Amino acid sequence: MTEYAVEVNHVSKRYMQLQDTAMLLKSIMPFNRPKRDIFMAVKDVNFTVEPGETVGILGRNGAGKSTLMRMVAGVSAPTEGMIRVRGRIAPLLSVGVGFHREMSGRENIYVNGMLLGLSQEEVAERFDAIVDFSEVGDFIETPVKFYSTGMFMRLGFAVAVHVSPQILLLDEVLAVGDVAFQLKCFDRMRELQNRGTTVVMVSHSMHAIRLLCPRVLLFRKGVLEFDGDAEAAISAHHHFLNLDSAEDHFGHTGMPAIVAGRTVQRNGVDTSAAEHDDEVEVTWTIRFDIPVQSPQAVFRVLAEDGTLAYSMHTRFGTEWRDFAAGDTAEFRVKFQPRFGGGGTFRLLLDVTDTKGHVVIGTDTHGPNLYVPPRMGTAGLGDALAEVFIADRIMSDHPELTMIDARTAPVSEPQT
Amino acid sequence: MELHPEPTRLQPWLREIWGYRDVISILVRKDFQTRYKRASLGILWAVFLPLIQALVFVAIFSRVGHFQHLKYSYPIYVLSGTLAWSYYSTAASVSSTAIVDGATLTDKVWFPRCSLVIVPVFSNLFGLFTSMVLLLAAMPLFHAHYTLRLFLLIPAMVWCILFAFGFGLCTSALHVYFRDVRFIVQAAVLIWFYVTPIVYPASALKSIGPYFAYNPMTGIINLFQYAAAGRFGPMGKGFLVSAVATVLLLVIGLHAHRRRDRLFVDLL
Repeated sequence: MTEYAVEVNHVSKRYMQLQDTAMLLKSIMPFNRPKRDIFMAVKDVNFTVEPGETVGILGRNGAGKSTLMRMVAGVSAPTEGMIRVRGRIAPLLSVGVGFHREMSGRENIYVNGMLLGLSQEEVAERFDAIVDFSEVGDFIETPVKFYSTGMFMRLGFAVAVHVSPQILLLDEVLAVGDVAFQLKCFDRMRELQNRGTTVVMVSHSMHAIRLLCPRVLLFRKGVLEFDGDAEAAISAHHHFLNLDSAEDHFGHTGMPAIVAGRTVQRNGVDTSAAEHDDEVEVTWTIRFDIPVQSPQAVFRVLAEDGTLAYSMHTRFGTEWRDFAAGDTAEFRVKFQPRFGGGGTFRLLLDVTDTKGHVVIGTDTHGPNLYVPPRMGTAGLGDALAEVFIADRIMSDHPELTMIDARTAPVSEPQT
Repeated sequence: MELHPEPTRLQPWLREIWGYRDVISILVRKDFQTRYKRASLGILWAVFLPLIQALVFVAIFSRVGHFQHLKYSYPIYVLSGTLAWSYYSTAASVSSTAIVDGATLTDKVWFPRCSLVIVPVFSNLFGLFTSMVLLLAAMPLFHAHYTLRLFLLIPAMVWCILFAFGFGLCTSALHVYFRDVRFIVQAAVLIWFYVTPIVYPASALKSIGPYFAYNPMTGIINLFQYAAAGRFGPMGKGFLVSAVATVLLLVIGLHAHRRRDRLFVDLL
């Protein structure tokens, strides 16, 4: 029989939400009991993690990822099911680990290290390495309430990776710190992986997931939707992102031009992922609630961190056609996603007046497109660089094959 | 480690808490140090505050209350009661909010939540111990004699600690669900002080005096006073009520924590 590092067996978590704070007083009254909203954060989840495996967890906010992590960390008990964890576990959940604000960095290293299962002597042995790694320097004697968010996180990460955990839980922590520190974290993670540490990590960064996790679990609305290969999970994740944003936000812009529909196609087929050379066609169906003369548009592509990857606007100032209230028009954009480092890109459309001065409609929740990276490249653009060393081309990476969202084994949602 | 919806059974649960004794002791030490770190008089405040309070009570009530003709030393009676009460009120009110106030710690990493209740109960002990030493030092000044009864201070302190712990366990668990508990405890401790025979003997209240015996702190405080000042009236019923209350609070509090400690975090 295999000894799993983490075993999650038919686990559900139910939360009771009560509207106001005087809940207890009211709920013991014989009449007029407050309505209790029951909310299933995690529904009947099953999976196991082998020792030494690294598993990424993907999902939108509120998909139940953090709830699950808290249960695996042992902080919160499941409502149903069973969780078994073998070995010393170091949880690093969300911003701010278990630090006591009034205590100094030094004291917190001791308390935290001991809470994570080290003896006082073991913490003392590792103390210098932790301080070194965290780069907090002289601030080590300062109460952590005076720390910057970055210092706080760095110290937390430093403690967690130095307690030699058998299992490391990371919830959204690799995104902290400057680039240099992030690289250091990646290195350290790699080192832990090589040493056989089991890692379960939640991240919204496709980059981190792809780099570190061969296997990914995809959560949606508390349900484990997909368990398998990272690329397939990322594609499926984007498929759901687009489905969900369509459900949540269709036509609720409160503007005179509203989005009545949108599709993203690659080679004539609906998609949520595309490669650099693919021709992608995104179509917005816009309904005008007021008469509009010669509308124009701005097409924008945002990268994961919100920076503008690309934008183009139409010929502002051109008089071409009037639309009456109630008319619909298709805005169709054809493009090639030549984004070097790849990632998740959000496609946005602003509908403007003729001169481009007034936005009369905007798709704030535009569809997401996942573009896998071209091997060896990073950055927003794709300059199609070729590198020769002593006249030998050294940049000819083998091609990546992309798994299409439609072929990823996911269950279709009911509508 | 295994996690089920069902709470851990009592024995493994208690064993787990025992396993965290190193962490608890370091938390106690840090709690004690950080509290007085910034004050120039430092930990002396842990002793000064209750002492000043007690001396004020002695100075005022010995004039107002006409307690000069008692068979025991009234100042020592007040001093012993106030010093014990001072420990109890601090430990009880801090521990009652311990779970919620420790949210930054509990949110991220598992350890038995009742450790947080244990911490203030122990970190305030320094004040209690030094208070007792000062009490002994003050006895000759107020014409009290050293007797073997003074050894009763030891069980009195243990009892007071257990009662504060039981009270803290119950109220801290309630506080998670019902945030008004913080203020209710503050108000209760304030009123409680005056309905406990600390600055005046129960007999001084004539007809309502006997009802004081139903106050669960009466027996504990009486033991301190008896140990330091000597016999001053009937105490049997007070002891019984205090003993029953201590056991009840501990049983209910431990039960509540055992059943709920992995659910507290969901409401923080």
